Amino acid sequence: MHPNETAINAYVEESLDPVERREVEQHLASCASCRQLADDLREVLRAATTLGLREPPVRAWSRLERAIKLEREHAAPQDAPGAPHAAWTGRVRWAPWLAAAAALALATAIGLRFMPTTGPDPAASNQPGAGATIAAGEAAQSVETELRQAEAHYEKAIKGLEQIASSEQNALDPATAATLQKNLAVIDQAISESRAAVRSQPTSDPAQQSLIENFKMKMGLLQDTVALINEMRKGNEAGAARIASGLKQKGD
Amino acid sequence: MRLTLPMLMAGLALAASAAAQGADQRIALREMTHGVGPVVPNAAAAPEWTRAYQGRDRGPEQTERFSRKVKIGRDGRVSIANISGDIVVTSGAGDEVSIEAVKRTRGSQSELASVHIDVDERQGRVDVQTTHTARNDHVSVDYTVTVPSSASLDLHSISGAVKVTGVRGPVRAETVSGNVTTTDTPKLESAKSVSGNVSLTGAAADGDLSAGTVSGNLTAKGMKAHGLDLGSVSGDISLSDVMCDRLGIKSVSGSIEYGGSIAKSGRYDINTHSGTVRLVLANPSGFELNANSFSGSIRSDLPLTIGGDSARRDRDRRRRDTGFNNHSMRATFGDGSATLIIRTFSGDIIIAKR
Repeated sequence: MHPNETAINAYVEESLDPVERREVEQHLASCASCRQLADDLREVLRAATTLGLREPPVRAWSRLERAIKLEREHAAPQDAPGAPHAAWTGRVRWAPWLAAAAALALATAIGLRFMPTTGPDPAASNQPGAGATIAAGEAAQSVETELRQAEAHYEKAIKGLEQIASSEQNALDPATAATLQKNLAVIDQAISESRAAVRSQPTSDPAQQSLIENFKMKMGLLQDTVALINEMRKGNEAGAARIASGLKQKGD
Repeated sequence: MRLTLPMLMAGLALAASAAAQGADQRIALREMTHGVGPVVPNAAAAPEWTRAYQGRDRGPEQTERFSRKVKIGRDGRVSIANISGDIVVTSGAGDEVSIEAVKRTRGSQSELASVHIDVDERQGRVDVQTTHTARNDHVSVDYTVTVPSSASLDLHSISGAVKVTGVRGPVRAETVSGNVTTTDTPKLESAKSVSGNVSLTGAAADGDLSAGTVSGNLTAKGMKAHGLDLGSVSGDISLSDVMCDRLGIKSVSGSIEYGGSIAKSGRYDINTHSGTVRLVLANPSGFELNANSFSGSIRSDLPLTIGGDSARRDRDRRRRDTGFNNHSMRATFGDGSATLIIRTFSGDIIIAKR
């Protein structure tokens, strides 16, 4: 039995009572997937607490609303009388909607943390003193370090979403799956080009911005893919089968 | 107070719950016909999206017609969720919704009965949904619906085109595989497809309008909204005669063309990786331009006052050092009241005057 996401989140927030906390700790010690979830939630929490209040883009609210709607639909049967305790509901429902929402929150937090420099490059300043040169070098190094951290976080979040999309891919018809794969490949190519540019010119604003934008784009498409999988799954079984077969025929 | 994911979700859930509560009183309906019979296909006259279904299976086409009228009031709500088949909606006079549907299959006739058209009527609204009860049927359902002109629409299809004409209430139209086409929709909220084209003519919104496609093209003509949020991954985006205060466009490999006006104090943010960005501006009073591209060029037909000297020096230095051709421009045109932020990686940036 795995604790559900709420229990793990409560554990991360340190709001469980001692008994529950001990139970979750024991489980995490032996379960890599739950441990990973706890780590991700910690990262969300940590990143969120370092931020000021920001208004999320309209697109983000739509996704979260969709995630909530799906959460309520999925949660309803479990809340019925006689159902197992909400914190322990059998095999972890590492539901795509939660992954999407968590990854979105994580990526938003990271995206807000890393803002490529937009002002004039200190390296090109017309004050060529030794102090200015050292400060410029440190600033460039700092930006590079932050960019690499942002890259690592994005890659981690993307990897999680890719795993979900991959494991649930049967929910999509082949034609739609192929379209999404093809476009993910387009973004991967763009990421690759941007990354090469950043490696060759670490202080280049266009290269930095392009890399981050492409990561965001990939996150967005993967989140939409997971949401689409959920839409496909939320109908009845026959309907879901019909979706796949019907799309295949139309795509032929 | 700490911000946590469950808190964020709980807050939104409360808002969603409050919005969902409303009258649930059923009203009378008038069912017109429910006939079964062959429909003679007219391939020459049929739109492209309907022809997609023809000939996909071997047998002769079997059809079943469905027809219903529902009173919802002049500004009622209509939602249609379809799985396979097109949805065509037009506006009409009066306060009734007219639902005409045709189930089609080239499999056995019995398959038609396994597909249900569920019509849920509540006060001021009607929700229509296609339900498939059998596995692997070969049935598609094409809807032709007339709604009161001020009705609000929420249309979803998995495989099929969505077309809306002349509906003056709020419209949301989405499909996975198929085109989305809207004409004369002054309160369009969203139009999206995954693998189809999105074409908007005479679209407007009181607030924000969101439109996008993953692999198709997005074209819009005569669009007016407070904010526009547009996107594609590999498709091109082409806009003409556009008026908006805030614009956000993102693409990866698609080209972007914006033809329209620039509002005073407006903000226009355009980003593509490898596509070309072309702005064709109609008598702008002024803007501040912040454009940069890693390897593309920047060109303006408008007389700009160039700023950002240090950026230019830096660019020149890098070009000497590495052979790369960075481009960055900060410039002002006219009164500088609006903000244009344009970024590409390898695509060119062109600003032209209409």
